[in-house]
Amino acid sequence: MTSAGTTGSHKAPWIWRALPLVLAAAVLVAMPGLLPTFMQRMMSKFLIFAIFSISYNVVAGYTGLISLGQAAYFGVGGYAAAVLMVRYGIDSLWVTALAGVTLGTIAAAAVGPIVLRVSGMYFLILTFAIGRLGYSLTWNLPFFNVPEGIQGIAGLPRPNPGIPGFQWTELSFYFFVLLVFALAMFLQYRLSRSPFGHSLQGIREGEMRMEALGYNVWLHKYLAFVIGGAFAALAGVLYVFMNRFIEPADLDIMRSFYPMAMVIIGGTATLWGPVVGAAAIVFVEYFSSILVPQRWPLILGSLFILAIMFARKGLAVYASDFWSKAGAKLWKR
Amino acid sequence: MSMFFTNLVNGLAMGMVYFLTAAGMSIVMGVMGISNLAHGALYMVSAYVGWQVFKGFHGPFTLAVILGGLTGGLLGLLIERIFLRRLYKQPNEQVLLTYGFVYILTNLCLWIWQGWARMPFTAAALKPITIGGLRFASSRLLLIALGALFAVALWYLQDRTRLGARVRAGMDDKEMAQGMGVNMEMVSMLVFFIAAFVAGLSGVLGAQVMGINTEAGSTILVQALVVVIVGGVGSIQGALLGGLLIGLIDTFGKVLFPQLAMFTIYLAMVLILVVRPRGLLGRRG
Repeated sequence: MTSAGTTGSHKAPWIWRALPLVLAAAVLVAMPGLLPTFMQRMMSKFLIFAIFSISYNVVAGYTGLISLGQAAYFGVGGYAAAVLMVRYGIDSLWVTALAGVTLGTIAAAAVGPIVLRVSGMYFLILTFAIGRLGYSLTWNLPFFNVPEGIQGIAGLPRPNPGIPGFQWTELSFYFFVLLVFALAMFLQYRLSRSPFGHSLQGIREGEMRMEALGYNVWLHKYLAFVIGGAFAALAGVLYVFMNRFIEPADLDIMRSFYPMAMVIIGGTATLWGPVVGAAAIVFVEYFSSILVPQRWPLILGSLFILAIMFARKGLAVYASDFWSKAGAKLWKR
Repeated sequence: MSMFFTNLVNGLAMGMVYFLTAAGMSIVMGVMGISNLAHGALYMVSAYVGWQVFKGFHGPFTLAVILGGLTGGLLGLLIERIFLRRLYKQPNEQVLLTYGFVYILTNLCLWIWQGWARMPFTAAALKPITIGGLRFASSRLLLIALGALFAVALWYLQDRTRLGARVRAGMDDKEMAQGMGVNMEMVSMLVFFIAAFVAGLSGVLGAQVMGINTEAGSTILVQALVVVIVGGVGSIQGALLGGLLIGLIDTFGKVLFPQLAMFTIYLAMVLILVVRPRGLLGRRG
């Protein structure tokens, strides 16, 4: 800042540091209008998975609880909205979204005491087990399979926002998702910078120490798990709105890998890591599935391995390091 | 009554496949703290290799089993030496890395062996065995016998040999074991190889009951995780108990409550977990 010259640290002015944020916001707001509709849909998908990744970032990134079952709450949110639509004829956006997020949060609140009895590897496989239970429930119960004979709920209507004469387009839906995404980012920002968020990171680094300092470690972990469940359910609701189809696989381990991969590739326990990771995976998956339809799992799998071996800190971290170094160099002279 | 015995044999045979796959996974988790999600993919690759040796090259079945096992073992060793070794105590990264291998190996299998499902390929050569007026598929009886043999061998290896003692020491306190002069690097390598080798064997053997398809890796991974949960991490006996229990519950569940086919084993799993969160025979962790 102003004293940069005298202290010897070369920090770029705030404009330089705010520039990436401004650019990102400009791209997210201005670009989709210029894209074809199938790309607008991909942009919506990317932001929905970014919200899903925030869920994993809160639970695993900040708190260090490695969950293999984050999709369970994603699925509960999605199924709640879908069931309201097809079983009860309620298509109000506000009612279905509120019900989905509430039920997903309740599910996480109910599962928390079971899985938090253990830690480490047992936590990993226990969260997996709960997700698997949800998968088998939705697979077997006819209540969750509409129309009869398929596994999942198909043919869902677009949610009704209650505005007279309003018609969804891919673009208006994208802006709706963008709004929710901005809210989720703001919440993640406030959470990670709050005393509560700092305590979570303290627990990740040294649970015994936090315990000795008098923190209620269990309650902190529990709240983080429930908050993570709420974010996941929110993403699940939006996903159902976009996809208009949900299936048991959306609660399962394969679905749980997405936020995990996104957070690690983007940057664990960073604000923008989930977003960068979600962009990387959604778009790599999409374009490789178009270019090499038979072989895209090879590309995605190699991407996971390369990211782990050579970019372990996460793409967002490298990008931000690069930017601040470049700024420091520019303002050195 | 004959229905009961037929299902009993089916359930036990399935259970043995689950046990063989889960045992290695459980020990690797317990000793090395590694969650290897590619374990199921190794099972699948080996099953295809076994099919290739037996059906493609008309080799003897014993050779198919051994080559299948070696494929699993060497592939596992490669993944451990090149990649997982650098990710010690980083569960998040281990999970993602090994899952990357699931993507890659599954797609390679699809590429090499195409998508069509393989039937159990020794069935034609084996005649059913009649015991007390009931006919049983001999492949299943053989599988149960082999599984029991491996259970004894693995138990002996873990509880009665020097390597087993080192493995158990490593599970209890890795740093202390190293301090006492145990070469944990070597122990880890051997354990990982044996685990992947047994997964490979169970791939070829399991294909005689369940066939092979490109979903087999993910299916068996999920079942193995369930078995590890039920039996407890790091215990051969736990994997055996869990494997047989899940095999039987699965088989009888499908017969008795067909409309809840998928649900019964997960319900059983969660009930066991609520009572014993570390599994039936889990070590403290």
